Amino acid sequence: MTTTRTAHMSTDRTIISETDWKRPAVRIPTTVLHVVLLLLLIVVGLLPLLWLAKSAITPTQDTLQHPMALFPNGFAWANLAHAWNDVHIGTYFVNTIWVTVGEWAVQLIVATTGGYALAVLKPAYAKVISGLVLATLFVPAVVLLVPLYLTILHPPLVGTSLLNTYWAVWLPAGASAFNVLLVMRFFQGLPTEVFEAAETDGAGPFRLFWSIVLPMSRPILGVVSVFGISAAWADFLWPMLVLPNQQIQPLSVRLPAIASQTDLGVYLAALAIASLIPVVIFLCFQRTFLRGGGLGGAVKG
Amino acid sequence: MLTRAELTEQAAATGRAAVSRPAAERVRPRRTPITWVRRGGLSKLVFTLPLLVVFGVFSWWPIARSVVMSFQRTNLVTAPLFVGWQNFEYVFHDPIFWVAVRNTGWFALLALVFGYPLPLVLAVIMSEVRRLKGLFSVLAYLPVVMPPVVSVLLWKFFYDARAEGVFNTILGWAGIPPQPWIQSTVAAMPSLVLQATWAAAGGTIIIYLAALTSVAPELYDAAEVDGAGIWGKIWHVTLPQLRGILFITLILQIIGTAQVFLQPFLFTNGGPVDSTTTILLLVYRYAFTNSLGGNYGAATALSLMLAVFLALMSVLYFRLTRRWSDA
Amino acid sequence: MKSRKVIAALAIAAVGVGLLAGCSSSSDASAKDGKVYLTVAPVLPGATADALKALSDRVKEFEKANPDIIVKPIEYQWTGTTFAAELAGGTLPDVFNVPFTDSKTLANNGQLADITADFRKTSTAGKWNKNVLDVATGKDGKIYGIPWGPYAMALSYNREIFTKAGLDPDKPPTTLDEIEADAKTIAEKVPGTAGYMQMTSGNTGGWELATLTNSLGGRFETIGKDGKVTVKTDNPQTKQALAWLAKLRWDDNAMGSNFLFDWSGINQAFASGQVAMYMSGSDVIGSLMQANGFDQTKYGVTTFPLSDSSDAGILSGGNVDVVNVKDSPAQIAAAVKWIDFYRTQPTVDKAAAIKNAQTLKAGNQAVNAPTLPVFDKATWQQNQSWIAPYDNIPTANLKPFTDGIFDQQIVPEPSAHTQDLYGALDSVVQAVLTKKNVDVDAQLKAVDQKIQALVDADQG
Repeated sequence: MTTTRTAHMSTDRTIISETDWKRPAVRIPTTVLHVVLLLLLIVVGLLPLLWLAKSAITPTQDTLQHPMALFPNGFAWANLAHAWNDVHIGTYFVNTIWVTVGEWAVQLIVATTGGYALAVLKPAYAKVISGLVLATLFVPAVVLLVPLYLTILHPPLVGTSLLNTYWAVWLPAGASAFNVLLVMRFFQGLPTEVFEAAETDGAGPFRLFWSIVLPMSRPILGVVSVFGISAAWADFLWPMLVLPNQQIQPLSVRLPAIASQTDLGVYLAALAIASLIPVVIFLCFQRTFLRGGGLGGAVKG
Repeated sequence: MLTRAELTEQAAATGRAAVSRPAAERVRPRRTPITWVRRGGLSKLVFTLPLLVVFGVFSWWPIARSVVMSFQRTNLVTAPLFVGWQNFEYVFHDPIFWVAVRNTGWFALLALVFGYPLPLVLAVIMSEVRRLKGLFSVLAYLPVVMPPVVSVLLWKFFYDARAEGVFNTILGWAGIPPQPWIQSTVAAMPSLVLQATWAAAGGTIIIYLAALTSVAPELYDAAEVDGAGIWGKIWHVTLPQLRGILFITLILQIIGTAQVFLQPFLFTNGGPVDSTTTILLLVYRYAFTNSLGGNYGAATALSLMLAVFLALMSVLYFRLTRRWSDA
Repeated sequence: MKSRKVIAALAIAAVGVGLLAGCSSSSDASAKDGKVYLTVAPVLPGATADALKALSDRVKEFEKANPDIIVKPIEYQWTGTTFAAELAGGTLPDVFNVPFTDSKTLANNGQLADITADFRKTSTAGKWNKNVLDVATGKDGKIYGIPWGPYAMALSYNREIFTKAGLDPDKPPTTLDEIEADAKTIAEKVPGTAGYMQMTSGNTGGWELATLTNSLGGRFETIGKDGKVTVKTDNPQTKQALAWLAKLRWDDNAMGSNFLFDWSGINQAFASGQVAMYMSGSDVIGSLMQANGFDQTKYGVTTFPLSDSSDAGILSGGNVDVVNVKDSPAQIAAAVKWIDFYRTQPTVDKAAAIKNAQTLKAGNQAVNAPTLPVFDKATWQQNQSWIAPYDNIPTANLKPFTDGIFDQQIVPEPSAHTQDLYGALDSVVQAVLTKKNVDVDAQLKAVDQKIQALVDADQG
């Protein structure tokens, strides 16, 4: 214990020093504070989920009359089956994944190709375009709700409405100035010598992009992915508008729509299944998630 | 949004220092289509194309259109008609508009009071945890992992105003009478903010935790040499070191809360008595909830005003950080 | 590595999009194989498995009789707050329903298909009550839809809760005062249950307030001799209605503790026993069984009480099945056949009525949900006698309504900017239920001013 702690300390320390920690006047209240905080976090972070898990298998009337009682009249395992078979949670979950994967891919393609063109290839019009992209940073997507919706109804070039196709959620996600500028800045920071060496070796712009720039930009692609995936996962208003066909809706759109037409027990079971999957993924990859969250801060800072 | 990207500029600046771009100094041959292609013009265009198309169609064009539309009356059937400032007048004369502005401000303020200092305090305490640190982080982050819609729907049930409601049952244990939560014009907005804070605090805590580990240990050592106690170290080292990140989260939060939609839409649909109708919800109502066709003009006019406000916030932020980083 | 994954993901995405595009385009074209494809919308979101089974049987029956038509039923529920987006988006199915209040305006805006020719070919074309068919007739005199399921507003109640509270479920309240008294008793005897509640959200607050106002002899809108519409919700009857609600809420505390209910929200609250009495369409048991799996033996319904005023009447409404304006002539013909088969025939043709009743009964769907006649009382009564053997809602439970409804004067919904008016009144109803001592007069005046401006903008 002591050795690891000292080893830890040498690289990175916090406000309370080892000397402080040895004083009971510091150690005891801090420890108490930590225990209290742990209990608080359990109540606030974990209990709602446990409650949801419990209610997912509790008969509706019990949940309505005694929401905090533990199975006063036994279980209702059938809720889960109903949620899966009648509410088709699985289908909507797959739809959610589709939405997310597509948005993520479009964002990465637009940001990497665009960032590469603007930062490395630098066509004459690069300045103008970066300026225009930068300008859109000032306009959050939600205020474009109506014109964007009308654009989806009558997109230029395509000719047919994109409504009820996943393109309607994927493509607008690509127009993220944040991503493009982030990637662009990163590419600008890459050492030019590498590009020059590659050019001397006869590598064209495509080889350069594919074999040199992309492999070097993993960290920034990770950041773009974290933001992109979490935003896509959370999105509600936009998919609700452009995916009215319930067969292709993600969970975020479908769950509110059936809220008042589904038996409460079954509904809570559906909510539980919908949260279970991300929670399990989180618990399995918690390091990545937490580092990603922190990374977000690092990028923001 | 803006804020993040602006910061990336700073982040990238570090890398940029070592780089000198030679491309601009090259001698240009005469321009013909063939030399253009040979000089890589085509591949440049190919790489720019996805960005041009996606931004053109889904960003630049809708922005231009929204400016035009806010001066038009459109019903999607007949040709749009220019009506001058009428849409803006309509919005300004709608009593709900002022209610929505006030509600959005109230939401933002409450979100600051509930959600701004708390994660910082928790993060500072958590950073001192010596055992099971990971467990603390995981617990704090769990609400963030839940899909936001699911967490709102779950809380909607928690907020059941009957004495048999989840929260009211818990209050009952402490002898507190049942509260109306989202069923009251007074309590609805704080209830919405409470859920929003619950859902978001974990993410902010993790960001602060990361920022706390990046505070240089030497600064604490130096403060101790100067005889600073724990509070002294927090006040003179930790907080100043976190100043940048604190300011960023503040601006991001204001920009985020100005666009709040999910909570009022799913919890209360703006009620009771429009006590939770926010600006974006009003935009949505103008555009999409009249069964015989939306008032797209008013909706875009209101969006435009919101966009101008957010842009001003962003510019303000931009300038302030510039001044700080220069100083 | 990462980039390869990206490419792989992209490839998958591209394939997915291809599939998707394939799926979405198949429904709108009638076609390649000489068959007519028709998307219809008779299922509420969240329909039970039984309901889907019953529907699928009906679809099979229709397809057997019309082998060249392929029917695809989808979920759909008209709500005042979501319809516009679907209309603007062009995502409505081939056949969908709109309420009586909206069909005329949509038709006059050119947003519905003209079905006159195909409608004339149906066996009942000449039988329609002119007043009923009028809601689906445009100002050009053409027919744009087929009305069905007209209903009167009624008082639904939970018989089980009545018994629990010591009330006689066979003697439901017959005046507003009795509703109040019973609601108070229930709230006292069955804690956690709202004695009486009504809708407040998503334009339904105004709809229900209109019902109360009409039942007391008032009207929201009056049409002058010159055809000019005057909006006046600031009238004595509306104020009386709001005062009645305030009394139930604040003096009697008989309305429970949740006050934000839309149509489906209150259905759910009723089905789960949180609301004992509420105001809704007389046919709502159909939805309660279809979407909420409610046990119909607990269900009771009675006429909503009218005051002694000679103008007192019961608000009525109904649905019109209409056809997508983008449909091909072949689709329109098929659509009319479907509507006739699904909605009209079971009311006039004995064999169809019995077949329909059998299917519904097998699927545990409401057979004898009380509605108003679409043609005339005699046809309606005859129809009731055909399906009587299959009735699955105890007729005794419906008796208070069916006995009284033909004595009530029917009042249509306000005609100008109905949904805007209802939406504006939501707030007033919510105010009365969530705040003590609200200045109702000022609020109603503000609503009048707002809606009158919209009406004048149309007329001027």
